[in-house]
Parts: sequence; C-alpha cells; structure tokens
Amino acid sequence: MKGNKNVLLALSLTLAVGFAGTTYLVADETKDQKGAAAQPAASTPNLLDYLGDTKVISVEPVRQMFSHRSHVVQHKLACSDCHTGIFERKWGAARDKGDYTHADAFDQGQYCGVCHNGEAAFATVGEDNCMRCHDSNMIAPDTIYFQKPVRTVVFEHKDHVDMGMKCADCHMQLFDTRMGAAEEQPEKFIMQALYDGKYCGACHNGEAAFASDTRCTTCHIGVRGDERRLAKAADKNKQKAQ
Amino acid sequence: MKMNELEKLVNEGVDQLPPLERRTFLRAGFAITGLFLGGSILSLTSVRTTQAAVPGSAYTSGAYPYKPHYSMVMRQNLCVDCQLCMDACVKTNHVPDYGYRTIILEQERSIGENAQETIFIPVLCNQCNEPPCVRVCPTVATYKDKTHGIVVMDDKKCIGCKTCMAACPYNARYFSEERRAVDKCDFCLESRLSKGMTNTACAEACPAHVRVFGDLSDPESEVYKLVHRPETVLWVLRPETGALPNVFYMNDTVA
Repeated sequence: MKGNKNVLLALSLTLAVGFAGTTYLVADETKDQKGAAAQPAASTPNLLDYLGDTKVISVEPVRQMFSHRSHVVQHKLACSDCHTGIFERKWGAARDKGDYTHADAFDQGQYCGVCHNGEAAFATVGEDNCMRCHDSNMIAPDTIYFQKPVRTVVFEHKDHVDMGMKCADCHMQLFDTRMGAAEEQPEKFIMQALYDGKYCGACHNGEAAFASDTRCTTCHIGVRGDERRLAKAADKNKQKAQ
Repeated sequence: MKMNELEKLVNEGVDQLPPLERRTFLRAGFAITGLFLGGSILSLTSVRTTQAAVPGSAYTSGAYPYKPHYSMVMRQNLCVDCQLCMDACVKTNHVPDYGYRTIILEQERSIGENAQETIFIPVLCNQCNEPPCVRVCPTVATYKDKTHGIVVMDDKKCIGCKTCMAACPYNARYFSEERRAVDKCDFCLESRLSKGMTNTACAEACPAHVRVFGDLSDPESEVYKLVHRPETVLWVLRPETGALPNVFYMNDTVA
C-alpha cells in the first residue's frame, strides 16, 4: 500500500512537471511569434511593461523601439500629452491606420513627428537619429545581393557604412529601410534611373563616386558570380555541420 | 623504344585535351594529308592566312561575300552575365539542359594591387567564313549556306561522329539526343529569321544591348557601323585558327 502511494506521488509529480513544461513552451512560442518580423504584436502586454525599459512597439511597417519610461519618467510627459490625441490607447492602433510611416505621417508632423520635428525633440530623420529608435532590431546587412531586375548585383552595405556614411544618406530618400524594397519595383530599379540620379546614381555619378555607366562588373557579378557565392556558402554550412 | 614498357603505360585518352589541342592535332593531320583546303596540298608547314597571322585583328576587309551577310557584334564590356540571352535562347530553340547554343565566359583581370575586375565574354557559333567544322564533316551534314552564310545543320545527314565538335574553335557545338544530331547556334534561322523576324532571341533579350545582330553587307545596319567605326579596336576570338569568324568584339560606352 505504501509502495503504491509512492508510485502515485511520483506519477503526479511527473504529470505536474510535464504540464509546467508544456505551459512554458507555449509561453515561449508566443514570445517567439511576437519577435518574428512578420507577426504583429497582437495581444496586449502586461500593463507594467508600458513603464518598463525600451520595448519594441511596432514590427510593421518596420521594427521600431520606443521607451515609454524615458518619455514618462525622464521627460515627465503627462498621459494626455500623447493619448488619445496623437496615439489611441490601444495596442497596434497606429499600425492599423496604415499611415504610420515617416513619409506619410512623421514628416507631416503626425504621431511621433508632433514632437520629434528637430525643435521640441530630435528629428525623426537626421544623420545620427535613425538608430535612436531603430536600434538593436535593425540588422544592417554586410552584403546585399539584388536579383531583380537582373541577376546578380552586389552591394557592399558594410563597406559603405564603414566609409562613414550615415543611414539617412541613402535611406528614406533613395532606398526604403527594408530588405528587398527596391526589388519590389524592378521596372523602376533600372540603370536609366541611376543615370537620372536615383538609387545608387545619387552618388555614383562620376563625381562623388565612379559613374554608374562605367565599370559594369564592379557591381554586376552575374549569375556565375552568384552561383559561386551560393556554392561557397553551402560549403561553409557543410563544414559547420561536420 | 621498348614495347613491353610502353604497354604498361595508361592510355591518357582525349577527354582532358583542350579543344585547341584537339584542333591543332586535327589540322596537322589534314594539312599533311592535303585535305586542308586552306593550305597547299601535301604541305608540311603550318597553315595560316595573313589575316590570322596578326594576333587579335578582326577580318574587316570591307568585302562580305553573302547577302545578307549575317553577323553579330559584342559590346563586350557592357555584358554583366545576367544570362537573359541564354534563357531566351534555351526557350526559343528548345536547347536541352545538357547543352548550349550560347554561353558567357568569365575572365578575371588585375586592375592594380588587390583589385580585380571581371570580364564577361558572350560566345556563340561564329558562323565563320572558313568554318573548320564544315571542313571536317564527313557527310556534309553541316554546311555554310550559300545565301546568308549561316553555318547550318542537316540533321538527317549527321551521323553523330562529333568531329565538328572537336574542330570548332569556339566550343559552340553539342550533341543533341533529341535531334539525334549535333546542334548549334544558327542565328535563330530556324526559329525566327525564317519566320520573318529580323533579330536573334539572344540579342533581343539583352538588357544592355551587348549583342548587336544584323547584315554586315548593309552599310546602313548597326553592325556595319560598329564594325567600321573609326578609331575602334575590334577583335575576334581565336584569330589564329584562320576561321575568319563573323562575331566581332569591341568595348563601347553605354549610350
């Protein structure tokens, strides 16, 4: 009888641990989903989080950080300064309106742009300002390989950053700050556009940098170049696996 | 020579032999046997035309024996290996994945310390005026058309001996299992020109206008103007073979 009791106890313990484990996993999954760029933050987080450290407040249209604490505690803003005149008190409300972007709203003095206009607070665009809101979650790529409208054009993002160029030198005006944005309009992302001073052509005009109608293969590595790169990457992965 | 030692050697085969070596060997054989029409009968000296003796120079005597004299000019430095030409060719001429009618070669060139540039070289059948492939074909399955000078295939006559493949200086031939004959670029004669179109699929697909196709006997054509442009370096691939190709290469500006 006593032995049986012990067995029962052990069984219930295992079950309990098992349940706890499952709940933990589920919680972890939701967290992961929130983190994923494609998934908007759907559920309302714990109220205390609002006063916590910097939080990702939007993943669409781009990931963005916002420190509620710095606004409320450090800069002593009242709730009514922002709510509900500028932002509704509802998670994701601004995103759902569809105009929560620099071009559509901030530059016209809406949302963050009400204060962040370069006078009341730092401007939303500017040499060093991008990373203040889009920091750790903006992953700057080392190299970009454009596949449209023609295969394959290489852009050394890191080399350009290391040269001392600021995000705003290219982003917002020439390129959206989003992977693949230029390629979504392959009919516009063409050499003639570069010659007209758009995209890379803003600097690659023969004055600031070599002209975009010269030295074609500096950027155009071609299909062969791309295949060689993919093969190299596959080899590396294989070696890592071994 | 000790036969028993020789017998121990492994046959090297011809698989690893580059096309030029194979060609040189073939040509030597034909020159000696007097079959090589460009040389003198039973000549033991190497056969070369004066044009071919000047390295890199292109055949631009101004006389073009065919009408229309189809030709292509490659504005080589503008090629970026996007391979849209190759895709268009495959689609238009039903080229199987194991073969090709046109290809893009790649060359690395040093442009200073730790700096390199890539040169892409589009290659297709050069529709030579003295085509080595035609000379070696034992069944006249491949011949140069008397009107427009395109080197064409008569599939029915091809016995698949592949001698033409070895003779071609440009590696522009492959054996097509579907056709049961050697296949090659015909400047889209079968798929387009014979149907009234005036441009090849590859030239039409090129976004950088690298490939310029046209009639070299027409002074108004773009190819004629490019080939005869003053102060322009024009070259052909492998001029030393004396094949007198009709595909010319040059560097040009974008506009």
